[in-house]
Amino acid sequence: MNGAWLIFKKEMIEFFKDRKTVFFAFVMPLILFPVLFTMIGKLGRRDADQRRGQPSKVILLDPGNVLRSSLEGQPTKFKLVPKPEGDFLRAVTEEKADLEVQVDPKAAEASARMETFVVKATYDESTSASRLARKRLEEVLKTFDETQVNARLVSIQAPGMLAKPTKLDAVNASDTGREISKMLGSFLPYMLLIIMYAGAMQHGAYLSAGERERGTLLSLLATRMPRAQIILGKQLALFALCLINVVVSLSAMAFGMGRLVAEIQPAEAAAQSSAAMGNLSAIASPTTLLLCFLLLVPLGFFFTAIVILVGTQAKNTREAQTALTPGIFVVILLGVFSMAPGIEKMAALPYVPILNISLAIRKLFSQQGSPYEYAVALVMTIGLAALMTWQSSRVLSRESALFKGGD
Amino acid sequence: MIRLVDVHKSFTVKDRKTRKPKRIDAVQGISFEVKAGEIYGLLGPNGAGKSTTLRMIASLMAPDSGTLEVCGVDAIREPDRSRAAVAYLATDMNVYERFTPRELLRMFGEFQGVEATVAERRGMHLLEKLHLTEFADVKMDGFSSGQKQKVGIARALLHDPKVVVFDEPTTGLDVLTAKTVLDLLRVMKSEGRAVVVSTHVMPMVEQICDRVGIIYDGKLHGDAPPRELLKSRNALTLDEVFFQLAAESEAAALGKGA
Repeated sequence: MNGAWLIFKKEMIEFFKDRKTVFFAFVMPLILFPVLFTMIGKLGRRDADQRRGQPSKVILLDPGNVLRSSLEGQPTKFKLVPKPEGDFLRAVTEEKADLEVQVDPKAAEASARMETFVVKATYDESTSASRLARKRLEEVLKTFDETQVNARLVSIQAPGMLAKPTKLDAVNASDTGREISKMLGSFLPYMLLIIMYAGAMQHGAYLSAGERERGTLLSLLATRMPRAQIILGKQLALFALCLINVVVSLSAMAFGMGRLVAEIQPAEAAAQSSAAMGNLSAIASPTTLLLCFLLLVPLGFFFTAIVILVGTQAKNTREAQTALTPGIFVVILLGVFSMAPGIEKMAALPYVPILNISLAIRKLFSQQGSPYEYAVALVMTIGLAALMTWQSSRVLSRESALFKGGD
Repeated sequence: MIRLVDVHKSFTVKDRKTRKPKRIDAVQGISFEVKAGEIYGLLGPNGAGKSTTLRMIASLMAPDSGTLEVCGVDAIREPDRSRAAVAYLATDMNVYERFTPRELLRMFGEFQGVEATVAERRGMHLLEKLHLTEFADVKMDGFSSGQKQKVGIARALLHDPKVVVFDEPTTGLDVLTAKTVLDLLRVMKSEGRAVVVSTHVMPMVEQICDRVGIIYDGKLHGDAPPRELLKSRNALTLDEVFFQLAAESEAAALGKGA
């Protein structure tokens, strides 16, 4: 093991000697994510403020003037615009108006007869202004309906509660901490999978194929160090770099998300987050975090083993990165799949590599973890990582891995 | 110190035209011996089998058959033990450019199991011999190829090996640096090490080698001191001997083919 430790030390020193790489790998995410999320938050907030402060432009066709007064009575929410020439639909899609409302020409008579009349609203679901206009119209119609129903009940001398047979009293059995924990459980494995694989790919090609490309591998292999220890040392170094990558990226993202929420809902966020954090700390306990870390270790080794195995067989860094790139799509696919609701109920998943780890993390956070599934994920991933490490050291022992041919 | 008896090595490569596997006999029954305090020169054109022979001595490759002993250790059965006694340097080896020579030597001292203080002392001594002391703490990314080659030599010799195997050690070096390397090889010889060098440079062989082996088509033609070789072939230079042997080898190959 001494040889592996020496190689680990060499790789870490070599990595941290390159200040540019260190900056782009570890410092850049700490700056980039919070800045990016803050900017998104500020833009989103400005857009929402603008939309909330402006009245929706409505084309109203209401020959009986049934709804006109309701809309005109709210100038902060509605601005009636003149009927355009030609197609109404086009006026909405071309954003000349946010909403076009056509009230049944016989609405007044229907209303007098206590009958239903149709209000046709044309809007564009793809624009936020148009969606807001529709929402505002629904609120107006709700108030209109309540007034109408009350008037009708009074006219027949019936009590007001006649139209409201039930009243929903919803009690949330969960709390904010539990909701965040569940959300974290489905979101975290996805992020971990991608960050870990991307980190391993980014640095692993340099550590393996890069050594051959730069002509330094031979000097390492000419020493008395056994091949297996060289591979193990490189894997350990790559794993450590991946872990730092994960911690840095997740911290930066968490901080960035906090900034985003604070920008969008400043007052609510402060109150909610302090309440949620108290509840969350109970669920994301040191035991949960430790078990989560224990799952990350074999997963990290699994990824680094894949990367080193591919890297030791590649002629140069470019070839290694080209071979490893499709892997990121597989990881993204598995990550997206692991986020899907209800997949934790699928019986075969604990036996699928990578997915079983993300599933176990998900269950840990939702407090549904099963020791059997946890053990299966752990043993399987360790087994596969060990198999690939063994194969990598075999590849490195091959003469073809050292020299392209004889002279 | 080094003993090769009827050593064979072949590779299977893909034929560039047909893309089918093709067997290449890189080394065909080579036998020679290098004693302590002796410099043995391996001469031959590109693709003759020089580098393959040296890589086998350095335990980076295993022979297909034959006997190979380094310092009395069976290099085929115990490659890790045998490798520990060898200093190997080749033209396609590079240094870790993010390190300084001192850092690199300290690191390789650890890799070779040399105690830190010993590695530091020996490393600085080697850098001094190679006229690199003033660059000991300078990052190697700005070094010339000659400076890198010198650091490579120091790296290879750090663990005080009994056997020195240098594959074309003066290729691409200027005259002054090449002289420094040759002087160091003479020191190695005087210290009682067994030295094997491969080269294309015939005058270098005449200057420093005690014995010479000429490899052509994976076979060893002639294994004698340079002067004896010249005398037996009635030649004035080793280049002349080399061309004679090449012509004989080609004639023999044609005769075999017919």
